[in-house]
Amino acid sequence: MAALGSVPLAGRPFSLARLRRATWNGERIDWWAYVFVLPFLLPFLVTTFGAILFGIYVSFTDWGIIGAPHWIGLKNYERAVADPWVWKTWSNTLRYGLVVTPTITVVALLMALFVNQRWWGYTFARAAFYAPNVVSVTVIGLVWVWMLDTRFGLVNQYLGRFGVPDVPWLTSPSWALYGVAIASVWWDAGFSMVVLLAGLQDIPHELRESASIDGANQLQAIWHVVIPLLRPALSLVVTLLIISTLRVFSQIYLMTNGGPAGASASVIHYVYEVGFSRYQLGYAASLSVMLFLTILVLTVVQLRAFREKTW
Amino acid sequence: MIAEWLRRVLKRQPPKALTVLVWIAGMAFAIAWAAPLVWMVSTSLKLPSQVMTRTIEWLPRTVTFNNYVHVMQKPVLRWMLNSGIVTAASTAVSLITGAMAGYALARMNFPGRNVLFFLILAVLIIPTEMTIVPLFIGVLKIGLVNNYLSLMVPGLASAFSVYLFRNFFLTLPRELEDAAAIDGANRLRMFWSVALPVARPAFIAGAILLSTTYWNLFLWPLLVTFKESMKTLPVGMAGFTPGTGVGQSTQVEGYAGAMAAMTILTIPSIIVFIILQRQFIEGATSAGIKG
Repeated sequence: MAALGSVPLAGRPFSLARLRRATWNGERIDWWAYVFVLPFLLPFLVTTFGAILFGIYVSFTDWGIIGAPHWIGLKNYERAVADPWVWKTWSNTLRYGLVVTPTITVVALLMALFVNQRWWGYTFARAAFYAPNVVSVTVIGLVWVWMLDTRFGLVNQYLGRFGVPDVPWLTSPSWALYGVAIASVWWDAGFSMVVLLAGLQDIPHELRESASIDGANQLQAIWHVVIPLLRPALSLVVTLLIISTLRVFSQIYLMTNGGPAGASASVIHYVYEVGFSRYQLGYAASLSVMLFLTILVLTVVQLRAFREKTW
Repeated sequence: MIAEWLRRVLKRQPPKALTVLVWIAGMAFAIAWAAPLVWMVSTSLKLPSQVMTRTIEWLPRTVTFNNYVHVMQKPVLRWMLNSGIVTAASTAVSLITGAMAGYALARMNFPGRNVLFFLILAVLIIPTEMTIVPLFIGVLKIGLVNNYLSLMVPGLASAFSVYLFRNFFLTLPRELEDAAAIDGANRLRMFWSVALPVARPAFIAGAILLSTTYWNLFLWPLLVTFKESMKTLPVGMAGFTPGTGVGQSTQVEGYAGAMAAMTILTIPSIIVFIILQRQFIEGATSAGIKG
């Protein structure tokens, strides 16, 4: 061993023993790690990492369902900017997000505050609020097509009792997006509630109690003590909602299929139309790259703005 | 026991009027929130002729299971089997690979560890829609369409699972493994007989979250299954959409049949949810934190 140590480094023969003693970050390298990581890493590199790079490449081609792809540079992106449907679907998606995000945030906050009181029956309330979140989007879509049926739907029938004329929730261009939004609120509010509930449980109980002893009534205590302390959870909820509303697809596909006349078509719905009905895969890829970049920018801005350590 | 309960109730201060009002409002809201699911079941048990009426009947005048019989004429059991196979396989693969990679990230020292962790964090933010076009091309070119492997593609590499297990193993005290190391156990043994047995909570949380996600996947199975017999339950059942200008095939039975199909689709999820309510809610919290 001593003789081996005197051999100059470059001339050393490859040896298993030396590999075993190799260090990284001042600690011995654990070669087993690669065995542990590989079963995840291989499919990950293909189905996620590779797919993203491949998608960016496809967005610069005119790939259809048959034939070979041709590199066409920025043509797809130029076409997207000039495409009125792109503007329409983006405006629909943003309007949808502007309705759904604040609605869910407020509804979920009220739910969380109520459940957090742990009054009699709170487990039932929590289950009822969260249940829609565990069922398939197919159920969400079809149940709400029925609930929002213009003539026989439950919503219009109950509204009718208050003298409200039948609302064409899903069949009129001016209402369709909001009809879908109602279903989305019902589907997703439970999830946001749970995130807020976790935030509420992190607030020390004494803080609220001292506030009520000070003479502040419950509402004031909630507004001045609880809400400010809940900011990290609220910002997380809002961020997740913004991202998820930008990606809305399945409810729209099931409830209106983007109609009438594209009034409820979202960005992803248009990607679906272009890519998988017309098989213009290159163009569809460029549309999803644009959405991806938007979400990336929003996420970075959010992380910068709040600098919360969410992981 | 009842006497004990009565004594406790009587000793308690009577709730304030405002509290009672808020409680009533909250409970009414919770009941209203559950109402669409109740209405779904109620509609599914009605005669189609009693569905399209302007009178609200929560309880069907005559209970019929005919709608279910009609729904079952479609290959519903086959779709259920497909969904079950894909969900179980995807969840198992995600959990096993996630536990192994998560353990390596939490415990082992190797070049590339930080890069890998950064990639996983990045992927947690990136929307899956980004990968749908390229994955579709890939699956199509290899000729994998209409097969279980293609349905499993979203479950082959779950960054979320790795992240979940890494965080879990980081909270474990190192002493457990140090003791094993003194006994001369290698990494594989340490993982297998020390870390895995205590990782039950992570497996349960991951299994619940991932299986719900995979069971409910919609867009991807919609894209890669053209054959009726290879559809998953959510995609197959979407064919029961009654005609409201929607692009799918329509069914004669209308809403009654559609709601029967939706009830069948809801029951497995709701039963699992009711049994494992606490784990669901805790699991969702950890998922929310993922950012």
